[in-house]
Order: sequence, then C-alpha cells, then structure tokens
Amino acid sequence: METVLMDILGAVVTFLVAFVVGMTYGGLSRKITARVQNRKGPPWYQNFIDAFKLGFKKSAIHHGVMHHLGGAFLMVSSVMTLMIVPVLSHNNWFPNLNFQGDLIFLLYIMTFGPLGMALGAGQTGNPNSAIGVTRGLSQMVGFEIPWVLALVALMIQYHTTSITGLMAAQAHSGTWLMFSSPFAFIAAVMAMLGMFRYSPFDIVGAPTELASGPVSENGGKYLFVMMSSGSVFTFAKLTLYVDLFMGGADNLLILLVKTFALYLIPMLYGMTTPRYRTEQAVRWFWGWPSFFGLLAILQAVIF
Amino acid sequence: MMNDKNSQKIVDIIQNWARKHSIWVLAYGTGCGAIEIPPTMTSRYDAERLGVRGAATPRQADVLLITGYLTVKTMKRVIRVYEQMQDPKYVIGFGSCTINGGMYYDSYNTIKVLDKYLPVDVYINGCMPRPEAVLSGFAQLQKRIAEGRANGAQQYKDNLEWYRANQKKIIPNWIMPEYNW
Amino acid sequence: MEMIHIIFLIFLGGAVLTYFAGKVSKVLQDIFFLLSVLVPAYLFFANVGIGKEVTLTLGGITLVWGVNHFSWLFSLIVLGLGSMAAIYAIGYMKGKERKGYFYFNFILSIMAMMGILLSLDLVSFFVFWEIMTWSSYLMTVYNGHETQRIGIKYFVFSAIGAYAMLMAIVIVHHVAGSFMIGSMINFYPNMSLSLQIWIPILFLMAFGVKAALMPLHVWAPDAYSNAPMAYTSVFSGALSKMGIYGMVIVLVTMINQIPQGFWFREVIAWLGGITAVLGTLWAIKQDDAKKLLAYSSVAQLGYIIVGIAIGTELGMLAGLFLAVMHALFKGTLFMVTGAVEKQTGTTNFTEVTGLIRKMPWTFFAALFSIIALAGIPPLGGFVGKWMLYEALITSNHYLLVIVIFFSSTAAFLYCYKFLFGFFLGQEEKEWAHVKEAPVVMLVPMIIMSVLMFVLGTFPGLILKPINSGLVDLGYIDTFKHLWNTSIIFNAWGDHVVLQPILYYIIAIFVFFALFLTWKGHKTTRYVTTKDISSSGEVPAEDENLTFSVGFMQPFLRAVAPAMRRQIDKYYTGIADGLESLFEFMRRIYTGNGQTYAVYVIVFVVVVLLFKSVLF
Repeated sequence: METVLMDILGAVVTFLVAFVVGMTYGGLSRKITARVQNRKGPPWYQNFIDAFKLGFKKSAIHHGVMHHLGGAFLMVSSVMTLMIVPVLSHNNWFPNLNFQGDLIFLLYIMTFGPLGMALGAGQTGNPNSAIGVTRGLSQMVGFEIPWVLALVALMIQYHTTSITGLMAAQAHSGTWLMFSSPFAFIAAVMAMLGMFRYSPFDIVGAPTELASGPVSENGGKYLFVMMSSGSVFTFAKLTLYVDLFMGGADNLLILLVKTFALYLIPMLYGMTTPRYRTEQAVRWFWGWPSFFGLLAILQAVIF
Repeated sequence: MMNDKNSQKIVDIIQNWARKHSIWVLAYGTGCGAIEIPPTMTSRYDAERLGVRGAATPRQADVLLITGYLTVKTMKRVIRVYEQMQDPKYVIGFGSCTINGGMYYDSYNTIKVLDKYLPVDVYINGCMPRPEAVLSGFAQLQKRIAEGRANGAQQYKDNLEWYRANQKKIIPNWIMPEYNW
Repeated sequence: MEMIHIIFLIFLGGAVLTYFAGKVSKVLQDIFFLLSVLVPAYLFFANVGIGKEVTLTLGGITLVWGVNHFSWLFSLIVLGLGSMAAIYAIGYMKGKERKGYFYFNFILSIMAMMGILLSLDLVSFFVFWEIMTWSSYLMTVYNGHETQRIGIKYFVFSAIGAYAMLMAIVIVHHVAGSFMIGSMINFYPNMSLSLQIWIPILFLMAFGVKAALMPLHVWAPDAYSNAPMAYTSVFSGALSKMGIYGMVIVLVTMINQIPQGFWFREVIAWLGGITAVLGTLWAIKQDDAKKLLAYSSVAQLGYIIVGIAIGTELGMLAGLFLAVMHALFKGTLFMVTGAVEKQTGTTNFTEVTGLIRKMPWTFFAALFSIIALAGIPPLGGFVGKWMLYEALITSNHYLLVIVIFFSSTAAFLYCYKFLFGFFLGQEEKEWAHVKEAPVVMLVPMIIMSVLMFVLGTFPGLILKPINSGLVDLGYIDTFKHLWNTSIIFNAWGDHVVLQPILYYIIAIFVFFALFLTWKGHKTTRYVTTKDISSSGEVPAEDENLTFSVGFMQPFLRAVAPAMRRQIDKYYTGIADGLESLFEFMRRIYTGNGQTYAVYVIVFVVVVLLFKSVLF
C-alpha cells in the first residue's frame, strides 16, 4: 500500500516537474524568439500567466461530448508518455512504467491523444478545425517515417526494443548513441522538427489562415488543459530524446541542460525558415530525413 | 482562518493579476486603424512584453479591439464576435470614429457612438492613434483590470435589453442566436 | 448420425425452410433464419470435440470431416461473427425486398465456410469452396443490374482461383493417389521439385484471390461495397479469412519443407506489405464509407498475410490475432455503415454529417472499432500490431517493417475520415429526423466493441486457441514465452504488460474528464454546431460548413505518384485486348452461311490454282 501511495505521489511530482519545465521552455522560446527579432519580449514566465488566465476564465462552451473530452484524451497521451519515459536514472521521486511498455508501445500511445483531440476538433463543426486536423495527421504520417527508421535502426543494433535497454547499452559502451549511431540521430532530430510543430511545419494551426486550426473552438479551461498537456508532452519528448541519444541524465540539472540544448534545435531552425505547405512538408520528411534513416539502418545492419 | 470575503479578495487579486498580464487581443480590423496594429505588435513597439498577444478566434480572446469606423454591416459581425467571447472579456474602442463618429460623423452607414451598442472599457483617442497611444490604452486597460473596474461584460449582461434595442434599431434583418450567458 | 452431419443438415434444411417460410410469414422467416445460424453454432461449440473425424460416402467417394485446433480457431471467427451478423441482419433486412434470397445465401455461406474448415479431403474442400464462391457472388449482385459487372469481376477472379485449385487437386491425386489433405502433406517432400513449387503456387492463387492479395485483389473493393452491409461484415470479416486459413496451411505444411520456401515466403510477405500500403492509400481517397472500408479490408488482410508469411512464432501469432481482431472490428464497422445507411439512406461522407448526437451508440461502436483498427492502446488492435512489428524487427525484415508502419500510420487518415464523415462535423437540418438504429442492430455492435476492449487487455483469451492451433500445425508452444494472459513478449524478451497500462489510462482519463466537467460546470454551456466562430458570420440553418469534399487532399497530393497506376487498369487492358482479339475472330466466323460458302469457294479455287504446287 505504501509503495502504491509513493508511486502516485511520485507520478504527481513528475507531472508537476514536467508541467513547470515545459511551460518554462515555452516561455523561454518566446523570449528567445523575441530577442532574435530584436524585441524585448515577454518575461520567461509569460506562459504560466497565460495558462492561469485561461484557467481563471469564467465561462466556457463546448459542442458536445467528444469536444468536451478532447483535452482528457490529449492528457492521457502526454502523461502516459511521461510515465513510460525514464526521467532520471536512479531516482525514487520519478517512478516510471517503463518495465510495462516499450518503444513501439510508446509510438502508439503518442498518437492516442492527437486522434482523440482530432475527434473533439471534428465535433465543433468548425471547418477550420477539420482542415487543421487533416493537415496535422498528414504531417504526422510524414515525420513518423524517419522517426521510425531511426528507432528501428537503434533496435536492431542493440537487440532490444525497450528504452531502458538502449540506455543500458549506452552506459555499457560509454558513448552516447548520438555518436555511435549518428545517422539515426540526424534522422530523429529531423523528425523532431515536425513533432514540435515549429515553423516550417506549423501549418497545422496557422493563426491567420485557419484561425489556429484544431483548437479554434477551444477557450478557457479547455485551452488550459491543452496547453498544459502540450507542455508536459514537450518535456516528455525531449526526455525521450535525451534517454535515447544522450545517455539519459543522473540529476535534474543535467537533464535540463540536455533537454534545453535539444529544444533549441527546432526553435532556432523555426526562426530562420518560412512555412511549408502540407504536401511539401510531407515530402520533405520523405526526402533527406528518410535517407539518413535508411543510412542508419544500413549502418546497424553492416556494423 | 480567514473569512470567505477575505479569501475571495485574495483570489480576486491573483486572478486579476493573471488577467492583467495576459491579454489576448482579437483585433477586429474594421477600419483604417487596423494598420496601426502591426507596428504595435512587432519589434519597434513590441506589445508582447506587456503580455499583449494576438488571438486567432473569439473563443480564445480576452479583448475585442474595434479599430476605427464601424459600418452598419460590420456591426452585426462585431456583435456576434463579442457574444462568442468567453467571460471575462473587454472591449477597446480604437480611434475617434468609435467615440463620436470622427470624420464620419455625418455618414449614413457608420455607427457614431460605439458605447451604445457594445460596452466599451477603454477608448483610445486619435485619428489615427499612434502605437504609443495604443500601448497606453492597453496600460489603462490593465490598470482597470487590476482594480477590478473593467466590468463591461457585466454591464452588457445587466442592460442587455437596452443594448439589443439599440442594435436592432440600426440592423434591419436581425437573425442572430440568443445571447446565452 | 454424427453431430457434424446434423450441423450441416440443419444449415441446409434451414436455408431451404427459411427461403420458403417467407411465403407464409415474415416473422417466421426471421425466426427460422436466426435458428438455422445460431443452433448449429451452439451445437458445434457444445458438442463437437476437437480431434473428432467423421466420414460420409457419397457416390463412391469418401468425404472426411473433422476438427482440429486450428480449424476450431477459424470456426470461432466464422460462427461468432456469423451469429452476430445474423442477429444484425434481422434488423438490417427489415422492410427490404428479396429477404428469402438474402437469408438463403447467408446461411449457405456460413455452411460453406464451416465445410471448408472441417474438410479433411480435397474433394469436399473444393465443393464447399465453390458453394462459398457462388453464394457470395449471388450476394454481390443482390442490389440489381448495375452490380452485374462487379459480380462478373468477382466471379472471374474466383473462377481463375478455383480452376488453379482444381488443377492442383487433380495433380495431387495423380501423384499421391489420394484426395486426403493429410496424405498430400505427407507425400509433398517426395514430389519432384517443379511440382513442389507449382502445387503451392496453384493453391496460393486460389487462396490469394479470397484473401485479396495483390495483384489478385481488384475484385474486393467493388464486391465488398456492393453486397448488403449485413453480409459484407461476414464477407470481409470471415469469408476472406478462408483465404488466410488455406494460406497458413500451404505455407506451413508445404512451403516450409523445401529450401526454396524462404523466397516464397519473402515474396508473399512483400506482396502483403505492398497490398497494405496501396489499400491504405486508396482507402484514404474514397468518399464512400463502403468503399473506404473495402479498401481498408484489403490493407488489413495485407498485414495478416505479412504476419503469416514471415512465419516465425511471433509472426504467426500476430497474423492470426490480427485475423480475429479484423473479423471483430471490420465486422463492426460494416455494421455501423449499414446502420447509417439504413437510417439515412446514404453512405457518402459528403452527404451525411453530424450524426453523433442522433446515433450515440452507433458512434460508440464505431469509435471502439476505429481505435482497434488504428492499433491504438488499450484496444485489441494494438496487441496485433505490436506483435507484428516485433516479429518483423526480430526476424530481420527491416524495410518491411517501415512499409507496414507507413501503412498503419497512414491508416489514421482514413480512420479519422470515417468517424468525421459520419458522426462529426456540423449537424444539419436535413438529418435532424435521424433516429438511433434499432436495438437488434445495436446489440451485436456493442457486444463486439466490448470484446475488442477485453481482448486489448487480456489477449491471452484468444492467444490460447491460436497457440493450440499453431501447436497442431507443428509450432512450439509459446505460452509464457511469447504471451501470457495479459503480457506480450517479443523474441528478445522485451514485453508490454497490458493490465496496469489499462488502469493508468483509465485513471488519467477519468481524472482529467472529471476536472474538465467539474471546473466551472455552472458556466459551461453546450452550444450547437451552428454557433461557431466563423468570422462573425452566423451560418444559416440550411448552410453547411462541414469540410468533407477533398478531405485528405494535401496528403493525396504528396503521394500522388504512387497512385497514378492502377492494377485494375492493366486487367481492363488485358480484357480489352482479349475482347478485340475475339472481335477479330468473330469477323472471320461471322455465322453467315454465305460467308462460309465464300470461304469454301476461295479454298477450292486456291486448291485448284496451286494444285501443281501443292500435290
């Protein structure tokens, strides 16, 4: 009983850490974008204020039960991802379920939320939402290919499909996978650009064209839940990358340094590029990123 | 143990602080004033440092910005947009035209006094108001929110019949859903 | 009299009785129909023991029927889905014409499938195979004259497959001297190499047609979408599995025994993979729910074929588990489509929108089966997909796993299209009158949805019979090694524990659902789908803003080069070529006596002129 309580407490702590870190990263990204554009920019905690304001909104509307529950679907996906990814190695405060799932499970649970959210967006009846959803799903098909190529390369190289197995392999060999399987890392990072939906892959929620797309009918508490889910998901994905390619982290500080370094890649790349149309984005992912993914598999098979 | 009134006060202060520093603007580009919004938002004046940021749809927005003259035809859409926004919500009248008609004071198809149709919280004077004026308008709104005096939405709710009567007077074919909160 | 004989007698007698009972009373007909499907199903599972064999001598040929674990597994699919579809059909066929025709063919199909599964000799196998083809062909043309062309297409392909099989049977009888399947398998290693290669190819042609394996799949989309939906759920869910059943037997008992078998299996696996990709892409393009599901069936059968073709223990488990799941979710989805068709009169996504509040239970069934189809945890489809990926990765099919992954990710697009097209989007005045489907149609759908949910957490329930079936075929027992009641393993020892995952998902979902519901519940309002933020406009009552035409256009533009060629067109080309050849022949043999007289005269003249040269 006590262990269960500890686990639940630990899960809550993990969630809170992920929430805070994700929100902070979001704020920092806004700040850095502003500095690049020669602006002063909002404070780093601006995302917290925005989220709380949305939470404090007095009224809310929904278009039906799927729309109402869209945020809950999204949360299942992000929190489950967070629970499956080992946050810190050797730390009791961050329990995880990794022993109960593996990378393929992770790939699928990560799509649970977007699909549920898409159903919610569909029920609003707003055409912009549905258009945004079709774009998002198409883009997902695009970036999943290099991402899976990279993961398969890692799996066949180390004969394991679990994240802890890959972390153990790194600990054992002493080098990070980003150095020992560079092509897989390149392919995965290129896929990450699409995963984070920064420019040039931000056509899904284009604010002026689609009125922010799938979320265009969500306000108040619904947007609050989605924003929190997005923050948690950001943290979970970054931690996954760190675990897979950078050997994980022993304490929170190292984890923050590594995740933030990774986070800078899509952010900075986004600042320098204009937006792709959906089919351009999809084809981009099937071009060079997939080529690097194939190279990674070749490397894994030959060596 | 604090009594309810005091704890409510503290909650109000926190809420108002959050609302004050996070203003998502739905810039309804009704008239020429819309041209002043891009400079206000971009590098030179950078409204984002005050927490002011564009919102894409009325569902997400806090502030409805009426930029300039408002024709009767547009009026209907503006009312619709305002009614779709979520509480708490504020209206900023932007430019002289929203105050007294401005240079369109004798036009047959623009409204003269915005306050008769929508509960305006803050007016920004000028024709055009420069970005500095717009920022000061936002600062004024923030001040009012912090003091809890920006309660236009409540006013609209309380005097709905009066507003509706005014609106129906100028909009001939009134086909609108009921205002349901 | 043996129980198996009684079962077949009930099927046959029931079919005839049901047909004629329609002349007396509609209700009586429904009751006869239900009884003649459900009673044999009950008798089979209650009274027929595994390992039992019965014989019947007809006209000098001994027909041997019996059950083993493997055919018991497929009987589960056939009779389970058959019973569900039969209950559903009562509601679906209410008020339709030619009920007797439908019921008769339905019962015959079920009987034929059971016959195929129970046959231990090739003669009765072939006879039942033909009955199945005929009854399903008659169902395909149920809807009248326009469907003749489609029916012919299905029939031509089935006939090609059947003749291939017949040829194989004759050859086998010639060399082995017996019609028994067992003796064929025993004799197989002693055959000459060319026979060892040709006999499986001939059999696989027959099975490939039914399993819609590329390039023999072109009949499937049309035939699936034109049969009545109550039958299509069996057609796609169970009848196509007969091809899988035959394939497994051929692959495992014959091809595995020769060294060339590896290439055989690779080719079939890749064909399966390509089938999956092309089926998925074409499914995304369809605007009609029936067509979409039909193409999706082709794609899903592709996964199953990949699983059984790679032939490792995990691959076989994955393929057969997916076969069971496919019967469940595709059966349900066709039932959902039928329910929508019955209530609205159309299955076109561009016409029907926003049914979720009118048909909530149907939506629930559709949602569950779509989640299962997409392979998202915690429903059963995930287990099958997981095992398939792990099987591919652990057996060194690195590129095939990417192909399969692409196909199943792209499947999200048509999954969403299906749900969105029917149930989401703006609610229209045109469909305001629509009511929920009758209970008799809902019950089978809900039961099957619940089954999918249960199998997602406790896949062991169905993996157990699959395992026994595989042990019958000569595989090793994989219990506790690759699967447990709610744990699945891969060959490297990595595993997914499904039970706690389900609890976590439910806990998180319920927590946030409660949070969303409780927070500000007094000021949260439901607004109609007309009350949307569309630039301040108020959409009029009859104005429909739902986005449904050209739904996945951006994605289709990205994959346009892959879809430029259609195999169907090549077949049409061949058919046209043959037709013009015959046309040319017909110009010679005109059927006119005078022309023939001219030919004779010309011949005589030529002979007379050149007689010195010729003689």
